[in-house]
Amino acid sequence: MNEQALITDAQSGNLDAFNTLVLHYQDSVFNTALRILGDEDQAADASQEAFISAFKSISSFRGGSFKAWLMRTVTNACYDELRRQKRRPTTPLEPDTDDGEEMDSPRWLADPNMTPAQQAEADEVEHAIQHCLDNLPLDFKTVVVMADIQGMDYTEVAAAIRAPLGTIKSRLARARLRLRECLQGFAELLPASYRLTTDITQ
Amino acid sequence: MNDHDLELLSSYLDGQLSLSDSARLESRLKSDGRLVSALDDLRAARTLLRQLPKRRAPRNFTLTRKMVGLNPPLPRSYPAFRFATVVATLLFFFTFGVNALAPQLAQMSPFGMGGGGPEIFSAAPAATEAPAFAEAAATEAPATEAPAATEAPLQSASDLATLMPATQESARIAETPMTKIGGAENAGGVDQPQVASESPSPAPIIPSMWQSVFAVIAILGASLMALLRRSASNRWK
Repeated sequence: MNEQALITDAQSGNLDAFNTLVLHYQDSVFNTALRILGDEDQAADASQEAFISAFKSISSFRGGSFKAWLMRTVTNACYDELRRQKRRPTTPLEPDTDDGEEMDSPRWLADPNMTPAQQAEADEVEHAIQHCLDNLPLDFKTVVVMADIQGMDYTEVAAAIRAPLGTIKSRLARARLRLRECLQGFAELLPASYRLTTDITQ
Repeated sequence: MNDHDLELLSSYLDGQLSLSDSARLESRLKSDGRLVSALDDLRAARTLLRQLPKRRAPRNFTLTRKMVGLNPPLPRSYPAFRFATVVATLLFFFTFGVNALAPQLAQMSPFGMGGGGPEIFSAAPAATEAPAFAEAAATEAPATEAPAATEAPLQSASDLATLMPATQESARIAETPMTKIGGAENAGGVDQPQVASESPSPAPIIPSMWQSVFAVIAILGASLMALLRRSASNRWK
């Protein structure tokens, strides 16, 4: 995929070229939105909004990392979604079991390659991490999602959230510290190799 | 351990420290077990985050033209057609408006816009015609009465009975001009507005032919625009 050529075509209004970029980046965009928002449906909506917004403003892209530019668009869409939630809070509709209780891990999200026990364990770890992510301030969460979950380097993160490199380093360190403290509470859920042992703040 | 140390460890973990800072931190790590433990914990936290399962997008987020409000590219002549259609439509309604308002404007301001003209022109012939008609009636009246008077003794009673309507009719004809003569005398007073109101409405300011032309241009332009739009969207598909 010649990304630069596709971007140039998209900038001249070629929707097919842009859709090729969408197909390439949609998983990253969706995962970023999912980790920031913590809800699949909202993440899907925010991703769609982000791509629409990206196409409409792609003429403003002046080079550099397209992924970082796209991530800025999706974080803005997530912020909009969070602001909307604040104005109109809603109650999520979780699927129910036969007993009428909420199902934490819907069947259709399960990985077919895992045994039920492995799947349950993976779900618990994921929920623990998502819970800790949700407790982070939004600025910290955005940085840690981009750097540690999306694997973007500091420069890309700085470009994506339009903040100085020093701010990125500071936010990332604090976010990791808070995550570590939060994950201490779920120590029994974590695999032995990932258990956290020390108290850094001491 | 302070915030600065924590930031140094986090950056060191990501390989974002300069060579000199890295060397300095590494020398501290050799002697400070707590720093090593903290680094391990940060690494473990980062590894956990990196191992979060990557969800696949639940659907494709590809965009449609409708989503982004894109319209099919229209031919270059399209704006010209649009302009012509709009202008023709506006002119069509303008001509209607002007023609509809012209008589009212003329009545409202007799000296304005030549509005007094038709009244003067329609009243003047009436005034001149009235005496002429009266005179003609006056000259005809004796002529019709005279034969009736001469023939009356020669006819029988029955003939008289049949002739009576004729004579009555001729008398009525003779009388009506007389009343009209009186009316003609007052032509300048009471009868004048009546005559003026009976005069035909003034001709439209803008000929109806132009209205037809504008209507045809507007309809043709709108049809052509619709055709161009349809063919453009068909080509786009």
